[in-house]
Amino acid sequence: MLNQMNVRGLLFDPYNNAYIVILRDEQNSDMLPIWVGKSEASAISFALERIAPPRPMTHDLMKTVLDSMDAKIISIVLTDLKENTYFAKIHLLYGDSEFSIDSRPSDAIAVALRAEAPIFATAEVLHKQSSEELERWLENLKPEDFGKFET
Amino acid sequence: MPSPTDLDHLIPLKVHGVLVDPNTDTQIVVLRDEKNSEVLPIWVGTAEGTSIRLALEEVIPPRPMSHDLIYSFGEHLGFMITHVTITEVKNNTYYATIHISKNGIEKSIDSRPSDAIALALRTKGQIYVTPDVLERRGGENLDAWLAKLDPKSFGQSEAEA
Repeated sequence: MLNQMNVRGLLFDPYNNAYIVILRDEQNSDMLPIWVGKSEASAISFALERIAPPRPMTHDLMKTVLDSMDAKIISIVLTDLKENTYFAKIHLLYGDSEFSIDSRPSDAIAVALRAEAPIFATAEVLHKQSSEELERWLENLKPEDFGKFET
Repeated sequence: MPSPTDLDHLIPLKVHGVLVDPNTDTQIVVLRDEKNSEVLPIWVGTAEGTSIRLALEEVIPPRPMSHDLIYSFGEHLGFMITHVTITEVKNNTYYATIHISKNGIEKSIDSRPSDAIALALRTKGQIYVTPDVLERRGGENLDAWLAKLDPKSFGQSEAEA
């Protein structure tokens, strides 16, 4: 069972000096927070804001490499959560074959946004992540902690 | 795609090491030619510098980094990165081209040198520079600059080189 997710924004986590990508399902009932590094957050924010950088960033290159091979991203799926680490798969269509490639969620999301490919999460991942924990954490946030990409 | 004759006038380079510039949020990839007579320093971001360093040290991270993922695309789809070329420098920005090949079909992809180098190290592809870029690099005083750097700012891969 897969749930389609939308990237709702990026938050800065000042306590861990990291960024959080906020994903929500279509009904806005489930939320998935994913902690990512600074450069991955910046790759995701460029895509969200539709900023075209003067030189191709790593995920722009990733998409160009796939385009040049005529490979298409069908979807990305957040498949598992183990010891606070999320796992993702990038599903590619190449010729008549499909390929699933192991990825960090940050890379998968950054390239999916560029390819306008849908993002899914398995029911298991949504079940495993405790959004209660995030809500508690969000309550402690001050407004100035929110970055400009928060929606 | 350069023909073999085009490759002839290109200069092959090796990654000599990655330095951390302690004053800025950047790292410096030091490339040298095979005779060790030419040095080409390229300033890169922290993420790209780290990715190049991991490849140099042949560290396999627990989860694939962005360049490992591009490499993995190649393994699954059956294309190869044959070589990368640093082609141009304009206003202190270096330009590179990644050459990929699949069943004899060659493609050239515009790239930042940092991504090109990080990928070339993973695919064991050769790194080239055009003679023009080497001539125009602003590095006449590089040796003096390198000598002034604190040895501690040299990464491990530099010490091993």
